[in-house]
Amino acid sequence: MGVELRANNLIKRYGARELFNIEELKVQEGDSLHLSGDNGAGKTTLMKILAGLDKPCSGEVAVTPNMKSKWSTRLHPKVVYLHQTPYIFSGTVAANLAYGLKLKGLANKQIKEKVSHALAWARLEELADHSAHSLSGGEKQRLALARAWVLAPGLLFLDEPTANLDQQSVTSVADLIDKMLEGGAAVMVSSHQKNPVTELCYRQLLLSEGQVTEFGHQRKVRHHA
Amino acid sequence: MQENLLETSILSLELLFSFDAELWDIIGVSFRVSMIAISIATLPAILIGFALAMVDFKGRWMVVALFNALMAVPTVVVGLTLYLLLSRSGPFGDLHLLFTQPAMIIGQVALAFPLLVCMSHSAFQSIDKRAWETARTLGANCCYAVITIMKEARFALLASVLAGFGRIISEVGCSMMIGGNIMSYTRNIPTAIALETSKGMFAQGIALGLVLLILALLLNFTLASIRGKGQLV
Repeated sequence: MGVELRANNLIKRYGARELFNIEELKVQEGDSLHLSGDNGAGKTTLMKILAGLDKPCSGEVAVTPNMKSKWSTRLHPKVVYLHQTPYIFSGTVAANLAYGLKLKGLANKQIKEKVSHALAWARLEELADHSAHSLSGGEKQRLALARAWVLAPGLLFLDEPTANLDQQSVTSVADLIDKMLEGGAAVMVSSHQKNPVTELCYRQLLLSEGQVTEFGHQRKVRHHA
Repeated sequence: MQENLLETSILSLELLFSFDAELWDIIGVSFRVSMIAISIATLPAILIGFALAMVDFKGRWMVVALFNALMAVPTVVVGLTLYLLLSRSGPFGDLHLLFTQPAMIIGQVALAFPLLVCMSHSAFQSIDKRAWETARTLGANCCYAVITIMKEARFALLASVLAGFGRIISEVGCSMMIGGNIMSYTRNIPTAIALETSKGMFAQGIALGLVLLILALLLNFTLASIRGKGQLV
């Protein structure tokens, strides 16, 4: 059963200023959404609220199937959020990939296997034992994607994943996100510009003046070279 | 005078390397008391530093300012306060802790605590909020996320622990007032140096001073070498 996210009557305010007021938003298995909007419109805040990392002032976010853990009522193990500039933990590339797997309590052998798959998936095999901090911006973005992919997320929030990347890195990142979509994950990408990643998305959302409007719904077919 | 200085220095080295029982007894008391004190203070102080850096609550700046102020309190004032609390007529007089090693440990915990809180607070402040969010979104519960952040800040945290240890092992005011400088029990390196110097017996003072100097060098070289291994370039 895939992951489904429903948000109802989400309101976020900073002091007297209301950032957004969203009546309803639904994300289903296999969805690919491009959330656009000007700088400061609240894209990052909205995605963090949907991912359970931030609290709305009112309203609720429900993710089914309900797998919420004892220690958090907001975070869902199948929902992962990636920052615009991903945070990479100190240690090696392989250690970063193993981070979430260790938390799942997998055996060392399983972790090794999954890490090696993730390294191949993100084409980072040769960098497995390198310090993760020494990677380039594009490599770090691929590492962050692989670190999320290895956890088999049902829904992935990507905040401006191509910002500050060169064209080749953008293409690599787009390829990885395409592979994630092929695997059945739902992906929401925020970006204020069109790019190869947003072109993968068939639902177009605009966050403007505190409202989310869906203005485009392409057919759900992706073409592969 | 120069001859005297040379002779005293040679004598101090002899005391040190002949493993003079009295001298090494003082060193043992110093290390035992300070190690216990730093072990007690470290974890709670780091957790408070973490909370002050990561949790937004009303009056947070006042708590930070309070710990900063406590860090600047002279050791003799801490000693005097504890003396009044622990003396026979004080509120904790019945515990009979005055002039004991536990009293010295309490004093050294009180001295190290604000320093550890302030330095760990700075260490955690330097860590990006994204580290916490990344840990949480990848499945870490709050406890594991705290451990992750501690790992990310480990060099700065280690520096704060070493600075705290350096402060308490070399302080004289508090140990003298609530320890009482009792031989083989509460006499530590700084109180012994103060006593021997006042008696005009410089050899033991120089030997103990050398121990503190070597300790300071060792701590700083250790920290520098660990930091060096953690450097990005």
